[in-house]
Amino acid sequence: MKSTRTGREGLTAYVFLSPWLIGVLLLTIGPMLYSAYLAFTSYDLLSAPKWIGLDNFRRMFTADPRYFSSVKVTLVYVAVSVPLLLIVSMVLALLLNKGIKFLSGYRALFYLPSLMGASVAIAVLWRQIFGSTGLVNQVLSLFGIQHGSWVGSPGTALWTIVTLNLWAFGATMIIFLAGLRQVPAELHEAAAVDGAGPIRRFFSVTLPLMTPLIFFNLLLDTIHAFQAFTGAFVVSRGTGGPTDSTLFYTLYLYQQGFAELRMGYASAMAWALVIVLAAFTGFLFLTARRWVYYGDER
Amino acid sequence: MTTVSIARPLFGRRRTRNPMVLGLVRHVLLIAVLIVMLYPVVWMVAASFRPSAEVMNSLGLFSKNYTLDNYKQGWSAGQLNFSRYFLNSIVITTLSIAGNLFSCSLTAYAFARLEFPFKRVLFGLLLATMLLPYHVTLVPQYILFNELAWMNTYLPLVVPKWLGVEAFFIFLMVQFIRTLPRELDDAARIDGCGHWRTFIRIIMPLALPALGTTALFTFINSWNDFLGPLLYLNRPELWTVSLGLNSFLDVTGESAFGSLFAMSTLALAPIVGFFLVSQKLLIEGVATTGLK
Amino acid sequence: MKRLGTAALALLMVAGCSGTSVGDPGGDSAAGGQDGKGEVKGGLQLTFWGGANRAAKTNAVADLFVKAHPGVTVDRQNADFGNYFNKLNIQASSKTLPCVMQLQGRQLNDYTKRKVLLPLDPMIESGAIKVDDIPKEVVDTGRGPDGKLYFLPYGAAYDAVGVNATLAEQAGVGLPPEGYDWKQYTDWMTRAQAKLPAGTFAAGARGSTPNYFIAYNLANGKQLFTDDGKLGFTKETLIEYWEMWEKLRKAGVTMSADSQADEPQSAEQGFIAQGRILTDSIPGNALTPASATLATKPGGQKLTTLPMPSGPEGSGNAMFTSGFAIPTNCDNVPTAAAFIDFFTNDLEAGKVFKSDNGAATNTKVLDAQLKDPALAPLKKHELELYAQIVAKKPPTILYPPGYQATFESAYSRAYEEVAFGKKTVQQAADAFFAEADAGLGG
Repeated sequence: MKSTRTGREGLTAYVFLSPWLIGVLLLTIGPMLYSAYLAFTSYDLLSAPKWIGLDNFRRMFTADPRYFSSVKVTLVYVAVSVPLLLIVSMVLALLLNKGIKFLSGYRALFYLPSLMGASVAIAVLWRQIFGSTGLVNQVLSLFGIQHGSWVGSPGTALWTIVTLNLWAFGATMIIFLAGLRQVPAELHEAAAVDGAGPIRRFFSVTLPLMTPLIFFNLLLDTIHAFQAFTGAFVVSRGTGGPTDSTLFYTLYLYQQGFAELRMGYASAMAWALVIVLAAFTGFLFLTARRWVYYGDER
Repeated sequence: MTTVSIARPLFGRRRTRNPMVLGLVRHVLLIAVLIVMLYPVVWMVAASFRPSAEVMNSLGLFSKNYTLDNYKQGWSAGQLNFSRYFLNSIVITTLSIAGNLFSCSLTAYAFARLEFPFKRVLFGLLLATMLLPYHVTLVPQYILFNELAWMNTYLPLVVPKWLGVEAFFIFLMVQFIRTLPRELDDAARIDGCGHWRTFIRIIMPLALPALGTTALFTFINSWNDFLGPLLYLNRPELWTVSLGLNSFLDVTGESAFGSLFAMSTLALAPIVGFFLVSQKLLIEGVATTGLK
Repeated sequence: MKRLGTAALALLMVAGCSGTSVGDPGGDSAAGGQDGKGEVKGGLQLTFWGGANRAAKTNAVADLFVKAHPGVTVDRQNADFGNYFNKLNIQASSKTLPCVMQLQGRQLNDYTKRKVLLPLDPMIESGAIKVDDIPKEVVDTGRGPDGKLYFLPYGAAYDAVGVNATLAEQAGVGLPPEGYDWKQYTDWMTRAQAKLPAGTFAAGARGSTPNYFIAYNLANGKQLFTDDGKLGFTKETLIEYWEMWEKLRKAGVTMSADSQADEPQSAEQGFIAQGRILTDSIPGNALTPASATLATKPGGQKLTTLPMPSGPEGSGNAMFTSGFAIPTNCDNVPTAAAFIDFFTNDLEAGKVFKSDNGAATNTKVLDAQLKDPALAPLKKHELELYAQIVAKKPPTILYPPGYQATFESAYSRAYEEVAFGKKTVQQAADAFFAEADAGLGG
């Protein structure tokens, strides 16, 4: 009896799963395999793909300085904005954690920007306020500081996009806040009784208990940061400039694949990214055992 | 030894520090951060109501002349046609929400409640797709949709939602359904309900918070989506609000900031609106994703 | 469900065999053959570049066409010049190119290389498109490497040197002398800078503008490209040229590099139109829109145009034409052909469009404009300058595929790196040559 029921349950399950399975096959796995093939071809969609072996990769790694620019820009962006994001979110979550008045109001207001952060409207606004006569410079001139355009100068353009990402810290903060709520008060009490000051308490009690969430946010925020597109596109008007200082990996991929019809090259770029991210994720999971503390371990 | 109250503010140093003052400092700090964060947006909204000469050169929020001109001009400036763009965005977003609700709930039910061969493998696959960057499927999907002659239609943007391509929401719902007691399922079984009935009658109504969160986030992601429409919607009559905004300055000339801000405000308004109405749901949804 | 089956099939097809394309009307499958003869009806997609002003005039012509052919609709798409070709490429890849697409010689070969354009010669033979009143050399600028005509030029433009006459007078330098060369030009700029009001500059940081460089080459008798599409000038020439601009920039004669990056793209909004610089390279037809903006400045300022600086080998001017092409995926060829014919040859259309994108190539249309008493003096000046330049028989440059994406983009970026101090001129020139050699011609 049981076997037919589980057999039938299995069948039912697969019926329930069918949309997702079709999606995974046709829209994820299939395309991944196809792009793995395309990475070794030269393809402009108008004529058949031409097998060129490792040429795309050769070009990427030895003959394309713009590729390295895009890698550098993206790595700098990720390496700076993700830790900053985590730190700022954590600090603000800590500030909000003590049962202050208007908590839900503050929480909601901090969260609002992260809903708008990915929109074209905000990116457009960002381009204006960091322009040569924009809001930021107007405020600075009140203090007597003159500055040129932030988005027009290669030294600062990338940082405007970092601030855009940082501006949307609300979602990460809320996750931390929820996690902080779950830290048992008794632990804080016990530590305080033992003479630990607040900062010591943070590092010995709070932080270790928060490591699962830090891990979670680190992983997702990093992957999200690697996929940045809209902000870079709108702020640089699709060019990745000035002098490729905002040429994010996704933007360069878009330019090469769609604007210049080098789909094989774009596929090679995509796989290079996937491999790096997979390595990073794997590394994170492996080291997680060292530093992520799950409450149920002794 | 004096017992220390756990209500001590976090950064106080000596026990004799007045908690009131520290609480005040905290509020001041928080408000300062909020002001810096939100001021640009508020400024933009205020600027959209100012006549075009005053738009860019005033730092403040107030003006002697308020006008709706920017809105009227921006709505159909040049060849732009924001009625069309808003309509397109609404249609695409609605279809995407329906699609996500449909496919993600079905998949989540299977993972949360049913046993089947290869379940662990498939769940692992689900998690892996959550961590996959979209670059690697971008080009082949474009080629696929091209072959299907779906260019310049909504289909490439909407159909994937009906096929459960957003693993994040599946994961969200799985976690949620797992918290519902199994006794409900068993009771339903005893009453003669098969899995489908259990799904529809018992689980879905109880999963309303998760469904709501999914719907809201799908709305926001779909409304803000830019790369997808950029690739697939080439004809202006199919453009979404994102594309319309992006081409605004090209088409109308760079002095049209007033109308640009007006249209940006309108583009952001639905997001803010939905947010105000359902922020509790959204925030709870975000909070729980990290926790289980 | 059926669609999913098709999707699966499509994916297998695509993965398995070699990129067969769907819906390719190679021959006469579309209504009306490739000779362009047929009923003029149905819908048409039109795409062109330009800002608000250009769009208004183009739309007006399209409206005239619609009025003349009831039952026809014309959908219009435009983008600014910078983004226009990116979008066009995406459309080319999905074979959804609009039936009437605007092109210039600079990008033509990107599309002829990919064979996405219909040759227009059969349509000329059949009379669907008339070229009787267009000079042969001008028509020939629309030909691809195989000698077939791929776009019909409707406007012949040139790049001119714009000078803010008012500022020049105020600075006491007047205009550069007739037949001036580069040395005189830069000396004149430097003299003017000393007397210009604070905040205005003699020029923009223009080392990054290909057009000026093309003029420099021509004036010195150098070829821009060899016949097989590689760079025709030497690294020494480039270095010489950039060092000239760097000297100017460092002396404060040109705008700073980061201010330059903020410059709006359109003719009406550029720095010279705003009155912030004294001189700039502008398309000849930008004289009217830029002047309109300049005139709104307090006191009203005037803009005028001059030929490019000349050199030992003659004038630095080249012609470049813009026109419309028909893609192979067009399903309404007769109407597209009729539209192109109308736009280029119709007298009423010419009156409405007013040679906005360069002098009208149809001599009768151009004559009608020149004889028109209501012709604005600025436009008259532009058209006269055109005649002056044409009289010197300027060369037409054959641009290899990848010109826009590789040459222009690499060129501007390379100079920008110098201007922002990230590379020396030598390094930038090396990088540019490497990138251009790798990307051009194929």
